[in-house]
Parts: sequence; C-alpha cells; structure tokens
Amino acid sequence: MNSIPGRWWLTAVVVIVTAVLLSPFYWVLVGSFMTPAELFGVNQSFWPRNFVVENWSKALERLWPHVRNSLLISTATSIGTLLITAPAAYGLVWKKPIGRNALSSFMLLTQMLPGIVFVIPLFIVFSKINLVNTMFGLILADMTFTVPFALIMLSAYMKELPYELVEAALVDGAGPFRAFLSVVLPITLPGLVTVGIFSFLMPWGDLLFALSLITESSLQPLTLELYKAFGQYGIDWGFLLPGSVLTAIPALIFVVLASRFIVAGVTRGAVK
Amino acid sequence: MKITPRKLVLEASPYLFILPFVIFCLILLLYPVVYSLALSFREATVETFVSGEMPFNGLTQYQAALADPIFWRALTNTLLFAFFSILFQFTIGFLLALLFQADFPWKNFCLAALLVPWVSPILTAANIFKGLFNEVGPINRLAQLIGLGPFPWLADPSYALPATIVANIWIGFPFNFILLYAGMRSIPEDVYEAAKIDGAGFWQRVGFITLPMLKPVTVAVLMLGTIYTVKVFDIVWIMTGGGPANGTHLLSTYAYQVGFSVLNFGEAAAIATLLVLLVLLLNLVQFLLQRGR
Repeated sequence: MNSIPGRWWLTAVVVIVTAVLLSPFYWVLVGSFMTPAELFGVNQSFWPRNFVVENWSKALERLWPHVRNSLLISTATSIGTLLITAPAAYGLVWKKPIGRNALSSFMLLTQMLPGIVFVIPLFIVFSKINLVNTMFGLILADMTFTVPFALIMLSAYMKELPYELVEAALVDGAGPFRAFLSVVLPITLPGLVTVGIFSFLMPWGDLLFALSLITESSLQPLTLELYKAFGQYGIDWGFLLPGSVLTAIPALIFVVLASRFIVAGVTRGAVK
Repeated sequence: MKITPRKLVLEASPYLFILPFVIFCLILLLYPVVYSLALSFREATVETFVSGEMPFNGLTQYQAALADPIFWRALTNTLLFAFFSILFQFTIGFLLALLFQADFPWKNFCLAALLVPWVSPILTAANIFKGLFNEVGPINRLAQLIGLGPFPWLADPSYALPATIVANIWIGFPFNFILLYAGMRSIPEDVYEAAKIDGAGFWQRVGFITLPMLKPVTVAVLMLGTIYTVKVFDIVWIMTGGGPANGTHLLSTYAYQVGFSVLNFGEAAAIATLLVLLVLLLNLVQFLLQRGR
C-alpha cells in the first residue's frame, strides 16, 4: 500500500471530504422536515426550526399503496431473475455448452443498450397482447435489465465453485438437478443474495419502464407516484423530499448491512 | 460406450439448466432489439400505430432525425455530459481511493457512507439536485454568500446542463472510487517499499507505480463509465425534462420525447439506434486507444 503517514489529520481530511460529498443527502433528510418557506426562504437553516412531521405522515399515507406495489414488483423481479439466471450461470460455466460464447457476448451487448431501445418495442408489443398496465408486464420489462446483469455477476461466482464437490455428489448417485439444489446453491448463497438484492433495487428505483407501461394509478410503483410531485403549477416539495428519502431506504439498509460484500461483489463482476 | 438414461440426463442437463434463460433472451432481449431496429425503418406514428400497418419507408426516419437541430444539440449534450461526468467521477474516485489506502479510525464507516449516492435510486438523487439547484435553493444561497450569482441554474440551458452533470457526478463517483480502491489494494506492497528505498516521494510513487499498475482497472472503469453515462435518462428527465427550449436533451431523453410525447415511434427508434451506434463507437475508440498505447 502506498499510504500517507500521519493518522489524526488524515482522519480529519476524510471525515470532512465525506461530509461534503454526502451533504446533498443531508439536505434532503433535514429538508423533508421543513416547510417550503423554510426550505427556500431567505434565512435557510441547516437544522429544521420546527420539525414538520406532517410532511412525512402525509407522504407515507399517500405512498403506502405504491410502496406495496413496488415491494411486489421488486420481489417478483428479483426472484424471477434468480430462477432464470442461477441455473443458467451454472450450466454455462460448468459444462461450457455450445453457443456459450455467443450468449456471453450478447449479455455484454445488452448491458450497453439504453433502456429506450427496449421500452419502445415492449410498449408496442405489450399493447397488442394486453400486458400494458399489468404488474406482470412491468416485471418482465424490469427483468430485461436485471437478467443480463445477474448472469454476468453469477457467472463470476460460479467460476469459483469447487466442482469436485459436484462431481462427488454425481458419483454418489445424485442426479444433476439434485446436485444443483443441494451442492451448488448452498455454496453460492452469498453470490445469490448479493445478486438478488441488486435485482430488487433496480426495479425499485426504475422510472423509465413504469412511466411508459403503467398509466393505471392503482398499479403504479412508488417512483411514479413520487414523480407526480412535479405538477403543472410547481413542485410539491413537502411531498417530494420525504418521498425521495423513503425511496432510498431499501438501498440504505443494504449499504449498512452489506458494504463489505458490495465492494467484493462489484470488483469481482466488473474487473474479471 | 453404452448410453444409459442416466448418462443422457447428465449430458443434456446443462442445456436444460440454460433453457429458461435462452427462451427469455430470445423473447425479451433479442426480439425487442430486432423489433426496435426494424421499427426505425418504418412509419410508426399515431395513425399507422392504430391501424397496425406501420409501412416500410426506408431511411425516412433517419433523415428526419438528422435534419432536426434538436438531434444535433442532444448529441453534443450527450458527449459533453459523458465527458465531464467521467472526468470528474474518475478524478474524485481516484483521489478518494488514494486517501483510503491509509488506515485510520472510522475508515469502514466512511467507505460505506460514500456508497450511498451510488446505491440510492437515481430518482432520489435527481430530486435532491432539482432542489439544490432551485433558483432560491441552497447552492445559489451559498454562491451569494461569497458574492456570486444568483445563477439561473435550471432556467437556462447553458447552466442547466452543467447542473445535471453535477448530479450525475454525484451518483457515479462511488462506483469509480470502490473499483479503483480495490485495484490499488491489489498492488503488491514490496513494489512501493522498493521505490521508497530508492527515494521516490509520495506523488512519484503514485505517478510511476500506482497509475501504470492500475491500468487494467482504469480501462474497465472508464469503459463501464462510458456505457452507463451515455445511457443516462432519469437525471435529465427529472431535473429539466430536456428543457428549457429542448436545450438540455440527451439522445435518450430526446428519443423518449419523440416516442412517447410526439408519438412518432419510428423516428424514436431511429434515434435510439443512433444512440446505440454512439455507445459502440465510443467503446471501440477506447478499445483502440488502450491497445495503441
């Protein structure tokens, strides 16, 4: 390591830099308890003069049905993604079937494609087969994002699998599916959890697909209801700011619980 | 060799494992991409969409897109957006990674905290910066404290584009930071020790050891950064909607507007195809540059 000597001032520098870089998040956090007058008034404060808890209670009340929609959409996307990609990543890495390289290249290519390439055809095709304004349609659309990503990441995990264990299970008479369920899945559990969480967070924050595919208000996810804070006659800040914090909560929980795994997972998936 | 049923299952099983994935790829990845490409050569507007005909009309959509000054504005904006986003994301990420090579108290806490902008939904970040760059928002207040501004941040395209870039830098720097951080950690200690003995100072060690040995990671970070940045949609859509006067459109937001507001899906697909070509071209350029060196 090329480290700089001297400990105490280094900590001071890092803490200050971190604080500056995170100040936008601080602003939304305290701002969610302020009235618009205080938020954008002449004397802006760094701490709410009186905590306006109503911002939060109103936002929660309005957003709750949409939080439920988002939970459903994200959970289904995450599970669906794992069901498709976990066996596939294993099959591709383990026996290297014909067409493997073509599939891998195609996955990398789809990672490069902007969402707009998918959203136009999906909208037209889903309109024809009545999948617009259904949760199922939105889940399928979200999976066009999560599946390539999940496959690339899981392949990296599957490469490190001790295949002697699989072979041993097969020699002992287990079928290939039995071996997959009782040997492969338990060993790759950390990878599956990480990829599952990413596949949950992507649809949770999605705006593009929801905006294009869901117009029925009762089906709209959290992000879309929050987007309505941008009205024709201005922005409803008292709703927008607590809603923005609320939208970030799953990601925040994730960071707190798993920062170490994110660093490991991201570097593994990206560099290898 | 005898073919037993068991052996058959074993041989066939990898294909069974990947079958659902292959079906998904064909229906939900390959088909839409081909459909989008085909659509760009068809007249797909409100009328033809309802009647379902969508007649083939060659390059008309591409000609229409290329003849529109907003397209060229959006292309320029996309390149500026990507260049400045990546420049600052990388610089901030690199300096942070250097700083974090040392051990100090609260290190793990700070490292986790710095990931927050990246893992948070883009929507949250866009909303935050929409507020910070408000005409009477905190950034203008701070500017006025030191005797500058107020600036018409989101009201004037020449200020609004930089504002969206700042938001994107904030979202993307942690990604650069952790990848570079992990890359630096994997450089062996003794190389630095040898340089120290030879009398190399801190910045000399950075220039002659860290940077060259970090090259594979740097290349990966820059390529991934380019891919993600050229695709950006949410930030600009939320902060400016491409306005004012269509001055801050990126190709992604412009294609979306042509598709879902103007309801000209054919031309939107043509713009989307041009955007894909841009992504591929930028990656090719980076690949060649990295090879040539």
